Amino acid sequence: MARGPRDELAYAWALRGALASLVGSASGCQRQEAPAVPLTVFAASSLTDVLGALEPEFEAANPDVDVALSFAGSQVLRLQIEASAPADVFLSADPTHVQALVDAGRVEAGQVFARNELVVIVPPDNPAGIESLADLPRAQRLVVGTAQVPVGRYTATLLRRANERYGADFEAKVRASVVSEESNVRLVRAKVELGEADAAIVYRSDARASDRVRVVSVPPELNVVASYEVGVVSAAAHSEQGRRFVGFLRSAAAATALRKHGFVVDP
Amino acid sequence: MPTRVLAIGLLVLLVLPLVALASSSSPGELAAGLEHPLFWPALRLSAKTTVVSLLVVVVMGTPLAWWIAASTGRSARAVELLVDLPIVIPPAVLGVALLQAYGRSGLLGLSIPFTTTAVIVAQVVVSSPFYVQSAATAFRKVDPDLMTVARTLGASPAQAFFRVAVPVAMPGLLGGAALSWARSMGEFGATLLFAGNLPGTTQTMPLAIYTALESDVRAALAISLVLAAIAVVVLLGLRIGPRLWLRSRGGPP
Repeated sequence: MARGPRDELAYAWALRGALASLVGSASGCQRQEAPAVPLTVFAASSLTDVLGALEPEFEAANPDVDVALSFAGSQVLRLQIEASAPADVFLSADPTHVQALVDAGRVEAGQVFARNELVVIVPPDNPAGIESLADLPRAQRLVVGTAQVPVGRYTATLLRRANERYGADFEAKVRASVVSEESNVRLVRAKVELGEADAAIVYRSDARASDRVRVVSVPPELNVVASYEVGVVSAAAHSEQGRRFVGFLRSAAAATALRKHGFVVDP
Repeated sequence: MPTRVLAIGLLVLLVLPLVALASSSSPGELAAGLEHPLFWPALRLSAKTTVVSLLVVVVMGTPLAWWIAASTGRSARAVELLVDLPIVIPPAVLGVALLQAYGRSGLLGLSIPFTTTAVIVAQVVVSSPFYVQSAATAFRKVDPDLMTVARTLGASPAQAFFRVAVPVAMPGLLGGAALSWARSMGEFGATLLFAGNLPGTTQTMPLAIYTALESDVRAALAISLVLAAIAVVVLLGLRIGPRLWLRSRGGPP
């Protein structure tokens, strides 16, 4: 028996209904709400691990937002925002980059959400026998950050302060054993993890995230504290969601995660 | 028509970044970039290391290429494949592999990382396939009868090689050497991981660009421009050099 045009139509409608219910069940509860808004977050590479932990937490509390993370050195991210990259939120390891963008009208305002301090790291077998900052000249191969990046600048400040305590030639002795000046802190750490360097100077959070290095703390009165700032990009496509993300970063829940990853958060 | 659009599209994609780079710096900015403290030590180191690595590649790669070209056995094909491996393996992977082999906690327990030697080793590893491949192809075109004739006329094997095979293969050898040198000049990933980044010791031009980018974009652009100019000169030499060589020998243009 041939089907008439009316039958064809009914068949098509039935098929459409079946497909719709299939799609509906596949996408689950998200279907009831508006589709998630993508929030592009530019973050300093030292925040890689902690943001990986914070992202699902924020998304669980804000189901209408889908966070996309982009990591690089703070300076490179600033460059990209200056070149109108589609970022909504900027997290910098160096407040000067946020300030420069605020001055240029590209970021709304900068707020400190965490701090980080420097530590010395050594391989687990500690071949140079470094137990304190004063032992650093014993290292035959020391790796630090280059002066072009924040960790390198903070390292220089730390060594200058150490001069006053350990003798005027301390910095010179330490510098003499520097075999590489890396352009990001993860590369600095990798040299110790691979056993190629006797010691390196990194942020505490980077040391905490690795189980292949041993941490030697720096006397607090000599240490340099790096401030992390966050700001919503002025040209953000989703500034309301961006402000919510900034609020979340400064919440007690985020502070717990940040502290767990080695950051210092002001109470 | 659509194929022409595709072809022109790719051409634009390739050329536009270079045009943009060339027009990015004013002469004043270029001059300021050249005065950046990272620039000259990096240029000197790049020049020094690439000349040494090119010498190593030619001196060690020529006998290898000759052997690969002359052998027809299965082992020669296997060796040819091994030589080509560094072309297809990402440089970052090579850097890690170099550390595992020649690092302090590597297979041989050497302490090569963080030295200028490490820079040269990385360059030799990434660049030699280009020379060996090109030289082997060139040597295959050498007529065996010519070599036999040279021998019957009293030439030693070495004399026959240098007076007959090398001149015939010269365009291929020059082309391979230029490509290999350009590859060394641009080497970044393996050097960064294996040799580290210290001005004057291991910071070559590409590493200086990467480092300068963290603080001074103009310097990074200026160094990039110089590196691109060197590459253009090498490419021109690559196209014109072999032809000049043939002409000077009275061969076909």
